[in-house]
Amino acid sequence: MTAKRRSIAFRLIAAVLLVELVSALLVIFLSWGYERHMHFRAFDVMLRGRADSVLGAVQDAEDVGDNVMLDLPDLHVPSEDVYEVWDGRGRMLGRSANWQGSSGFAAPQRDGFFHLSVNGKPYRLLRFHGSRIIDPGDVGGGKLRPVTILYGAPTVRVWHAIRGAVEFYAAGSLLLLIVSGPLIAWLLHRGLLPLRQLAALAARVSPEAWEFSPPASARTTPELAPLTHAIESVLQRLEQAFVQQRIFVSDAAHELKTAVAVVKSSLQLLGLRPRTAAEYQAGLERCLADTARLEDLVAKMLTLARLEASAAPAPQPANCDLADCLRSTVATLQTVASLRNVAVTLQAADNLRVPIADEDCSQLASNLLLNALQHTPAGSSVELRADLTDNAADNAIAFTVADHGEGIHAAALPHVFDRFYRGDPSRTRATGGAGLGLAICKAIVEKAHGSIQMESQPGHGTTVHVRLPRA
Amino acid sequence: MRVLLVEDEVRLADNLAAALRDGPGYAVDWAGDGEAGDDYARNGVYDLVILDLMLPRLDGLGVLRRLRARQDATPVLILTAKEGKQTIIELLNAGADDYLAKPFDLGELIARAKALIRRGKGAAHPTLNALDVTLNTLEQSVRRAGVLVDLSPTEYRILEYLMHHPRKIISKRELLEHLYDYDWEHHSNVIEAHVSNLRKKLDAALPDAPPVIETMRGRGYRLFPGQES
Repeated sequence: MTAKRRSIAFRLIAAVLLVELVSALLVIFLSWGYERHMHFRAFDVMLRGRADSVLGAVQDAEDVGDNVMLDLPDLHVPSEDVYEVWDGRGRMLGRSANWQGSSGFAAPQRDGFFHLSVNGKPYRLLRFHGSRIIDPGDVGGGKLRPVTILYGAPTVRVWHAIRGAVEFYAAGSLLLLIVSGPLIAWLLHRGLLPLRQLAALAARVSPEAWEFSPPASARTTPELAPLTHAIESVLQRLEQAFVQQRIFVSDAAHELKTAVAVVKSSLQLLGLRPRTAAEYQAGLERCLADTARLEDLVAKMLTLARLEASAAPAPQPANCDLADCLRSTVATLQTVASLRNVAVTLQAADNLRVPIADEDCSQLASNLLLNALQHTPAGSSVELRADLTDNAADNAIAFTVADHGEGIHAAALPHVFDRFYRGDPSRTRATGGAGLGLAICKAIVEKAHGSIQMESQPGHGTTVHVRLPRA
Repeated sequence: MRVLLVEDEVRLADNLAAALRDGPGYAVDWAGDGEAGDDYARNGVYDLVILDLMLPRLDGLGVLRRLRARQDATPVLILTAKEGKQTIIELLNAGADDYLAKPFDLGELIARAKALIRRGKGAAHPTLNALDVTLNTLEQSVRRAGVLVDLSPTEYRILEYLMHHPRKIISKRELLEHLYDYDWEHHSNVIEAHVSNLRKKLDAALPDAPPVIETMRGRGYRLFPGQES
């Protein structure tokens, strides 16, 4: 399959030429048949005329037996022609001088036209029965004498004429083939011009210039319209993805630069003037905390990149027990919950295996729980539930995290899972984090072919619904 | 000098405020979002606004536009992590005086802050001169007729502010507002003592000359009363 594919233009030209060749052969064959028919019809008329003149040369022999004879001196026929004449009793009356062989030229004993080789040349012969009336002035209108005439003429010239005609048609067809090849190539080249223009326009598209404005004809031409439409829709999707990527990179750069700025300023602050050992100690601890936050940000971004990059399923599909994972996450975050004075309750059925790796499942659970804890006022509670869905045929697991916090505005809901999105714009970094937690959750769930949604009533609380297939 | 810092990253704001207080000895007010920043700028008197670009509720550009719409000429230094040329052009055209891209150098930030403040006061040179008093803002040193005058940080800051406005009557309130952050009222009872000490130190450097600072009862203070430079 490594053979180079011929171009479409080449294949089209070859197809047209092949059709032309077949047509030419057909024309040659038909013309040969037609010419042969027409020439031999004329030839036969001529042959009969000459044979009739031979019949005309049959004369009364002026003898007792009222016989007939062939009046040779009065007979003028082309010298190449051959003939033989018999009377009714089978007696040969005469024959042409150029025939010395056996009587009848070995011709079939029936009337009609036939081909025969005479003296080594192709001849066409006519045999017919005629009759001469002798003594027409006698009583009763004379005597009827039957004669049989065999007359032939060479067909070389006829065949020559037929061949000439066929050769003319063949030469014409060949010329047509030779001329039409380049002509078709040129016409195809012209005809395919809009396609090349379209390709050139598409090739000009780059991340800097997403403009693709094909001419109106490209949209209306039946062959080009689907291609134009396809290019446009692909470009549109690419541009969207590209813009999203650019926003992500820009946001990521902003977050990283800010985090680095914090570390750098903390270090420079220490160097502004001489400090006491205790001040240095405190400063270094702050720097370490700043670095830890930078590290966390980088880790989150890498997690997100890893989740989104590995679209292909893992060779060994990972799975873990959601219930176990939730229990350990709740235990880990119990201190955070206690500090905020928030009660965490967990209701999970047993044996809820989901197609998610252990660490990703922990990340999903802890991100969702932390998010809920951050938006829950002291004294309130966060509820986690995990069970099979009501519809057993789904073979899916439903997992919800509900808080009773301030809720989220309807306008913000569609964006909560966007990367670097910080829910309520009034929320500062102090409480909001970098806005990657929920984006990571979404990536984890979608990688497992599940779905994640947030539902919120401002003032009443927020519930995150996760739906996962069973492993 | 009093600076308004609008920055939503708490740790960065902490560090910047500490550096501005520690280094040039500015009073710093901190606002954590754009709306709060706008509120502070409207109600306070600032010699410089340091504004982060990406802020919750109202972004830096919004704060800047509102500030300039009020005909407020306070110098504005923008902190940005997006250094697209278009953004910078837009910022400067909207009335920003300068910008710094994160992560920046604290020393550079302080130097730019100083430069913006002295430009805002109509001075170009980092050394302020008024008659025989010379104040070097880089060394934070003061000389009278060549004699070094040893001042406390607060005394230095009072003199720096007065030097920016020679012969103009500066009210006690104005002085307080520019010297301390939002809780300046707590310092009102000590300002008189600081001014008094400052005057004594300056006069001691050149005993025969007339007093440098005049106290105008109920109106405020004035540098070099009744003297033509």
